[in-house]
Amino acid sequence: MINTHILKAEFEYLAPRSLAEALDLLDKFGADSKIIAGGTDLLVLMKKEIATPAHLINISRIPGLSLIREDEGWLRIGAAARWSDIVRYCASRRQYAALAEAASSIGKVQVRNMATIGGNLCTASPAADSAPALLALGSQVKLVGAGRERTLFLEDFFEGVRKTALGPKEIMTEVLIPPVPKDTGSAFAKITRVGVDISKISCAVSVSRQGFRCISCRIAMGAVAPTPLRIKGAEETAAGKEVSAALLEDIGRKVAGEIKPITDIRSTAEYRRAVAGVLAGDVFGKAWRRAEEQ
Amino acid sequence: MTMDKKTIRFTVNKEMVEVTVEPNALLLNVLRNDLGLAGTKYSCGTGACALCTVLVNGEPILSCITLAMAVEGADITTIEGLAQPDGTLDPVQEAFLDHGAIQCGYCTPGMVLMAKDLLNKNPHPTESEIRGHISGTLCRCTGYTSIVRAIKSLSK
Repeated sequence: MINTHILKAEFEYLAPRSLAEALDLLDKFGADSKIIAGGTDLLVLMKKEIATPAHLINISRIPGLSLIREDEGWLRIGAAARWSDIVRYCASRRQYAALAEAASSIGKVQVRNMATIGGNLCTASPAADSAPALLALGSQVKLVGAGRERTLFLEDFFEGVRKTALGPKEIMTEVLIPPVPKDTGSAFAKITRVGVDISKISCAVSVSRQGFRCISCRIAMGAVAPTPLRIKGAEETAAGKEVSAALLEDIGRKVAGEIKPITDIRSTAEYRRAVAGVLAGDVFGKAWRRAEEQ
Repeated sequence: MTMDKKTIRFTVNKEMVEVTVEPNALLLNVLRNDLGLAGTKYSCGTGACALCTVLVNGEPILSCITLAMAVEGADITTIEGLAQPDGTLDPVQEAFLDHGAIQCGYCTPGMVLMAKDLLNKNPHPTESEIRGHISGTLCRCTGYTSIVRAIKSLSK
């Protein structure tokens, strides 16, 4: 039995004031250290003695790392931006509807006031709610450290359950969302037992339309494989087609066929497979209707 | 291991405090043990129940998974900070009393602070907004109906 009243772990607490200072600390301590921002995941893992860093590097007060801004049509979200700030920012910007829906469904009010977008992605839970929405919007992530700076597509960032491409001396600094084309709509939905529970399954879709035809789309699912993922087969099925109830069913079948769900405490593989197609069809339909309204 | 203690300052209920803490000190325990503010409750310790809610710079957060060192310089409000110095209760506290929104009372500090936060940001919340805002702040007596009613009575 673990006493969660206290944090038993012993560690050094470091609060760098600049990214350069944080990178120096990371360079010095590497794998013995952990970056912390909101701490909603890491401190729980430390209480449970699953994570045992010797040094904690708090990046939440580094100026600029939590900025949300638009730059030549790109949306640039600082990795330390909190979900509550992202919810506020996206609320009036319909081109990011999928992200707005995912962000406002994360945890509860208190968690959204603490947890950050970078934390959600670097934790790399297969059920991370932000991941499908960000995948559907074609997001990239910027990683800085070890003397270089690189930008990866989010789908290349996730490598497995709680495994990412982030090196021990790298910090995620930004999430980049490319310009959203005209006549494009997006949506996100998830299935949970109760409102604030971790998702059994989640889905986000972004679709560009011309009249009754889908020009292109991105379909992403969460909690159905070791990583959140895009369902490329379903995307190809929809591309260039006239959208109809039959097409939504085809998309659903492709989705159900491509995912690799498991049975765990939250759901069974059978259930996830059965609802994945229906959920994907529903979310596609919602994104499709929004594309018309844009 | 360097568990260097550090003296940090922050404001609690409008009063500047100074405490010397180790890196692993949690805000919850500093409030309860070092500062004697036992109104903030420990329950799950893993960020699931939200009974340890306090306001940091006006925003509710979970003090059981917040490092004390991380709130250096912050402005913190706990349940003890709501009533006037002469003991006059906050309208939210009065409403909870009037509507019988307290059973065992263990969730009350967190619940009252969530109500306060909601009403600060949205003086006219609908029932669904109220339920949305307090969802995740758990009442094991399941006395949600009267809690929602109490908050609703303050919706202007």
